[in-house]
Amino acid sequence: MDTHLTPAVVSELRRIVGERGLITAANQLQTYECDGLTAFRVPPAAVLLPETTEQVQKILRVCHRERIPFVARGSGTGLSGGALPTEGSVVLSLSRMNRILNIDIPNQQITVQPGVINSNVTAAVAPPGYFYAPDPSSQTVCSIGGNVAENAGGAHCLKYGFTVTHVLEMTVVLPDGEVVALGSKLPDAPGYDLAGVYIGSEGTLGIATEMTLRIMRKPETVQVILAAFDTISAAAQSVSDVIASGQLPAAMEIMDRLSIEAAELSVHPNYPACEALLLIELDGPQAEVDIQMGVVIDICKKNGAWETRLAVDENARFLVWKGRKAAFAAAGRLSPNYIVQDGVIPRTALPVVLEKLNAMAAAESLRVTNVFHAGDGNLHPIVLYDRNNPGEEDRAIDLSLRILDVCVEAGGSITGEHGVGREKQCSMSYMFADPDLETMQRVRRAFDPLNLSNPEKLFPTPRLCGERSRGAYAPHPVEASGIAEVF
Amino acid sequence: MISPVIPTQRAAEDLALVVGGESVSQNTDGAIAVLPRDTQQISAILRYATKNGLTVDPQGGGTKQRWGSGAVPHIRLCLSRLNRVLDHPWQDLTCTVQAGCTWASLQQSLAKHGQFVALDPLFTDRATVGGILAANDSGSLRQRYGSLRDLVIGMTLVLPDGTIAKTGGRVVKNVAGYDLSKLMTGSMGTLAVITEANFRLHALPQHARTFTVTAPDAIRLAPLLARIRGSHLIVQSLQLRRNKTEANLDICISSHPAAQQDALLEEMARGEGLASQEIREGFCFERESLLAGSSTFLRVSTLPTNVCAFADELQRAAPKVDVVSISQGIGLHDVSLRGSSDEIADAIRQIRAKGSTTVTVLQSDPAVDTTSFTIPAPVMSVMRAIKHNFDPGGILGPGKFFANA
Repeated sequence: MDTHLTPAVVSELRRIVGERGLITAANQLQTYECDGLTAFRVPPAAVLLPETTEQVQKILRVCHRERIPFVARGSGTGLSGGALPTEGSVVLSLSRMNRILNIDIPNQQITVQPGVINSNVTAAVAPPGYFYAPDPSSQTVCSIGGNVAENAGGAHCLKYGFTVTHVLEMTVVLPDGEVVALGSKLPDAPGYDLAGVYIGSEGTLGIATEMTLRIMRKPETVQVILAAFDTISAAAQSVSDVIASGQLPAAMEIMDRLSIEAAELSVHPNYPACEALLLIELDGPQAEVDIQMGVVIDICKKNGAWETRLAVDENARFLVWKGRKAAFAAAGRLSPNYIVQDGVIPRTALPVVLEKLNAMAAAESLRVTNVFHAGDGNLHPIVLYDRNNPGEEDRAIDLSLRILDVCVEAGGSITGEHGVGREKQCSMSYMFADPDLETMQRVRRAFDPLNLSNPEKLFPTPRLCGERSRGAYAPHPVEASGIAEVF
Repeated sequence: MISPVIPTQRAAEDLALVVGGESVSQNTDGAIAVLPRDTQQISAILRYATKNGLTVDPQGGGTKQRWGSGAVPHIRLCLSRLNRVLDHPWQDLTCTVQAGCTWASLQQSLAKHGQFVALDPLFTDRATVGGILAANDSGSLRQRYGSLRDLVIGMTLVLPDGTIAKTGGRVVKNVAGYDLSKLMTGSMGTLAVITEANFRLHALPQHARTFTVTAPDAIRLAPLLARIRGSHLIVQSLQLRRNKTEANLDICISSHPAAQQDALLEEMARGEGLASQEIREGFCFERESLLAGSSTFLRVSTLPTNVCAFADELQRAAPKVDVVSISQGIGLHDVSLRGSSDEIADAIRQIRAKGSTTVTVLQSDPAVDTTSFTIPAPVMSVMRAIKHNFDPGGILGPGKFFANA
């Protein structure tokens, strides 16, 4: 894409955000060349640090006039390359827009700027007994703006739903600089549900600069059980049995041996050493949780759990969750480099898919460790590799993408909460047919006809996905017509 | 309204070639009724309609056809033959169902495994999955389970140009691509025809007890409503019924009896100088009577804290009109008005003038001014752009939604 970031435009942008709000020095730009997916890096043309909706609006007007692509960035913790700059783009880092604007406890709402850190939302409403439900594992560092872009989930979305369930209203600057309110603080905004389609659009439909979130009453009691199993299948069967018993736990997570070891090395949660650790959290009224926990323990024991350990007090629970949420970062203890995947499968397909996955890893001589949101079938296979071994990074990326193909074949999805971004855009055409993708583009063009907002993400493009399109093999016309053969 | 390029008699003959002669008939209102059997036939019909400038209004059970006061279309696309539950992998807590399946028959089928789509829309015996999605209806279960947008996980759509597209999928957790299911939910059939939907399911509640608290006006129930919302009660439904003479707060608790939340509720009510009384049947959650006869039917949104005050204001705004309202604790009000057109129009004006509410007139006497709602211009222009990109010929849902905006 042509870049139009002339010196005159740079000075115009400087006038909007001030000297402190503009980064153009190459060594400083390097900070912004990738997000949590470090295998992909592109330095931006400039980084802007706006502090108000008006500044974002002015920047986008300039971008629109000059046809400059732009990429919004929160904390840069995304795992799919959603905040990866496009060549010649400016990055709008929203980390300085980090104020909590209003807390309305009687209506159970809080209004925040996009740079507010996820766990700070809960911290702000905890004193009167409330919490913000979406809890991605990176919640102590990731921003609400990024959560909105990716429709972030987390361990507790099994019961409480995703970001989209908890965002009532947003102020959004459209790619042409118009400022609009999407959604409503009142239920059911009139007209099309633009908020519903905006959330999870990965920064391709504009930039949200303010959001009103739904907060929830903290449950009366919370209990977490750790159950140790000899096989992943036994743990997975327990998950199915809990669901079949009609209960909806707040969270159900499985960790395999490698990830348990990694967690032990990094944050010492003191997990039982086993092949499969099942972690189930129940919440609600004390008497009810006590009864349900009895049922859950019986189910685990029936499926061969040789240890069931209850974490009832807050400290014990904190440690259990700290270990689980550190699992991605802890992979660094096992291997110099790793890729976290995010496929989803129907829960019942878990044993079959895991078997396939292990065989694929063995064939590549790569190690894959697994932590997953077992309740909703969201796998997080972590492919371990060493960038210094020639060719190993390519093989690791390839394996991680083939794992997604297996998820699609099992009737699932290529991403449950991390988003498509740059990483998985070529896998989109394996999950969706062309008419499906073309229909999404109709929405995209309505918001962003010039394709300036985080371009070259989410959708497969011929340039990035190449003629060797992933998925079904498409014969070359020469081959199809019988003129040539492929050997 | 766009004018067709071919006469309707000719169109009926052409459509008969697609679906068979027995599946095409002439309605008394002048529309051609077409009963396709599958998504492919719907695709062929829409492609034909777009090509020939014929307007199309999809129809399920017809229970909400008047909502949004659309014009009579050239083609009424009846989805009643697409009425099957296609799949119910109960261990995965999901299902796939055709759009013409009635809500009641879907729920009956799911109940075999103790599951349901956690929504209680209007007219479940006749209303269909597709129609309920298009109108984004919801009832008292919304308190606990959220609205349709939180329950629908995928769809098969047919666009006006005949494109068949899938969105979402069959797994609950899925962020791949734009979530078009949400865009379709509540779009009143103006963007595409929904032919299949996938839902996430919940286990049927094992415990449910309903209590009601009565007072002469709603404002006296406001402190109790606020306390319940801020409490640890597992509330499945929280609803305020208001008519000329009294107000009732209905609370359905679905926690295990061992938690003794009934006693907690009783204590809360007593603390506010009120008495709670258990009622045996769930009849109080039925909303159908609001639409009986020729009532004007509004859906109004307020903040949760304004639920009770608004219900009382409604009565004051229309002293000569018979006003009945059923309000959800989250701030969504279904309102029925019966009386003279002038008085109703005046009442609607007064309700609008209050501000801090969103008023949508869903069904009304033609004499009532139904300027349905106002959407700010920049938002409206995005909505128009979406409508244009999906339906450049403007054939779907003629007069609906945009005519009122």
